[in-house]
Amino acid sequence: MTHDATAAVNPIRIKDVSGFYGPSRVLDSINLEIPRNRITAIIGPSGCGKSTLLKCFNRLIDLVEGASYSGQIIVDGVDVLGKDADVLEIRRKIGLIAQKPTPLPLSIFDNVAYGPRIYGQKDRAELEKIVRHYLEVAGLWEEVKDRLKTPAINLSIGQQQRLCLARGIAVDPEILLCDEPTSALDPVSSQHFEEQLKLLKEKYTIVIVTHNIHQAMRLADYVAYIYLGELIESGPAAEVFENPKDERTKAYIKGVFLNDLPPEAGERSGSNPEDFGGRDEDPDVQHGRILVPGLSEGD
Amino acid sequence: MDRVTEERAMKGLMIAALTIVVGSLIAIIGVVVWKGLPSLSIEMLTETPRGGYYTSTGGGGILNAIVGSLYLAFGSTLIALVISVPAAFALQDEYLGRTRYAGRLRLALDVLWGTPSIVYGAFGFIVMLYLGIRASLLGGIIVLTLLQIPIMIRAMEEVIRMVPREIKEASAVLGATRWETTTRVVVHQVAPGIITAVLLAFGRGIGDAASVLFTAGYTDSLPGSLFEPVASLPLAVFFQLGMPYPEVQARAYTAALILLVIVLLLSLASRALAKRFRKNILR
Repeated sequence: MTHDATAAVNPIRIKDVSGFYGPSRVLDSINLEIPRNRITAIIGPSGCGKSTLLKCFNRLIDLVEGASYSGQIIVDGVDVLGKDADVLEIRRKIGLIAQKPTPLPLSIFDNVAYGPRIYGQKDRAELEKIVRHYLEVAGLWEEVKDRLKTPAINLSIGQQQRLCLARGIAVDPEILLCDEPTSALDPVSSQHFEEQLKLLKEKYTIVIVTHNIHQAMRLADYVAYIYLGELIESGPAAEVFENPKDERTKAYIKGVFLNDLPPEAGERSGSNPEDFGGRDEDPDVQHGRILVPGLSEGD
Repeated sequence: MDRVTEERAMKGLMIAALTIVVGSLIAIIGVVVWKGLPSLSIEMLTETPRGGYYTSTGGGGILNAIVGSLYLAFGSTLIALVISVPAAFALQDEYLGRTRYAGRLRLALDVLWGTPSIVYGAFGFIVMLYLGIRASLLGGIIVLTLLQIPIMIRAMEEVIRMVPREIKEASAVLGATRWETTTRVVVHQVAPGIITAVLLAFGRGIGDAASVLFTAGYTDSLPGSLFEPVASLPLAVFFQLGMPYPEVQARAYTAALILLVIVLLLSLASRALAKRFRKNILR
């Protein structure tokens, strides 16, 4: 896959971003461009700093005790990390889907209407339209249309995550950050959620943090590999997965495959890097994902 | 002792403990109903005493004490609530919680919670002497407010502290301010706990005799203004039970019964209210 015109326009520019928890540096001068209207996966082992990087985008890191950061993240010409940046507007524009589905203690309807209401939408009919629209976009409408007034916590965990998706896009963001959004879900729900994300990239710039390399392969147009707080390699997904330039990237992709797939498949994949490009249809990848649920668990 | 015997012994201990708890509760309610019910009449609920509360000759009711207690308790609970909610939120992590002051404040509140109400009464008395106010509804409300605040703050604060960080973050990532998150999300999560805290404090307030003894005083008439003395049910029990006439003592038990019923009704109402909020909360 190559950069095409729309993706190259107005990318998100991460310039020299470092992150700290107390005195320890968890992100080391990250420089990266994230193309618009594409899915970019940030991959890396647990604790490599990828979630911290994600939390910088919408300044959620401000809420983390002891965390600090430096550098710039330029979105539409504005430095998100700047001192006088409008954090509330940034968070509206840059949504986040958390690792654990977290419905607000409200009804299904009120969860989706929460954002629009904050931004002043009071008209009931208008809210109903908005809620329906975003539930449809999140692929949840058909399942919940008859029980919009019931508590959101009664939904299954997979439905909860799609509700969070609907709630997240109901404030009309441009960028969607996903922090291991399927790691708490079962395989079927994960697949459902991934399909929604693929549909959404037409409209949103999606940045997904995952340590599920299969998920990155299935979803991502672009990939950035972070290891020990350092950006090791980035580029179009096909290039990085099929032909990693850095030894560490190679080892990570290979290591995950060897541990993950059944022995024969692992050997074959290991000896033949071309197979890495396999997408959804690749039976081994699907197989591997369902066989090894441990891989899709949280940090 | 072998392991099975040990298991049985512990089970027996628990059953015994529960029996004592439930038994005393039933006994209290039983005695109050048994002694108080015979004197309960429409007159008791709708009239003020005739010829003084301490005489057997008078008749009339204890409406003065019922109305007085409701004024005192609702007034003080309302003021305490207005003060306690922001104070409880202030003790949270996002505000004072990360400083050393939060711990000290909690300790101070715990000490205040444990302070005997007669001390509050004596304190209130001194303050009123100093300010030149005499025993009055206002004095009673002020002291009961002070009595209720530590209970409310500590009980609320524990509940607010249990709100999962993820829920606050889920609101924040949509661009909500801390105030919006608190008033639109956290409130729903903590409402049942706040209702419980209010009830706990109200129960202490309406049932307390020692703190209103010097500060609110006692009177046979209905409360006329904030600056006049006011009767209360706990003191109606206290004074009437101290009289050597069985008829007057019986009226004391009736006052106790009414007090019990008020608290019971409020408990039921608050449970129903809490249930409405609880349905959206994961437990």
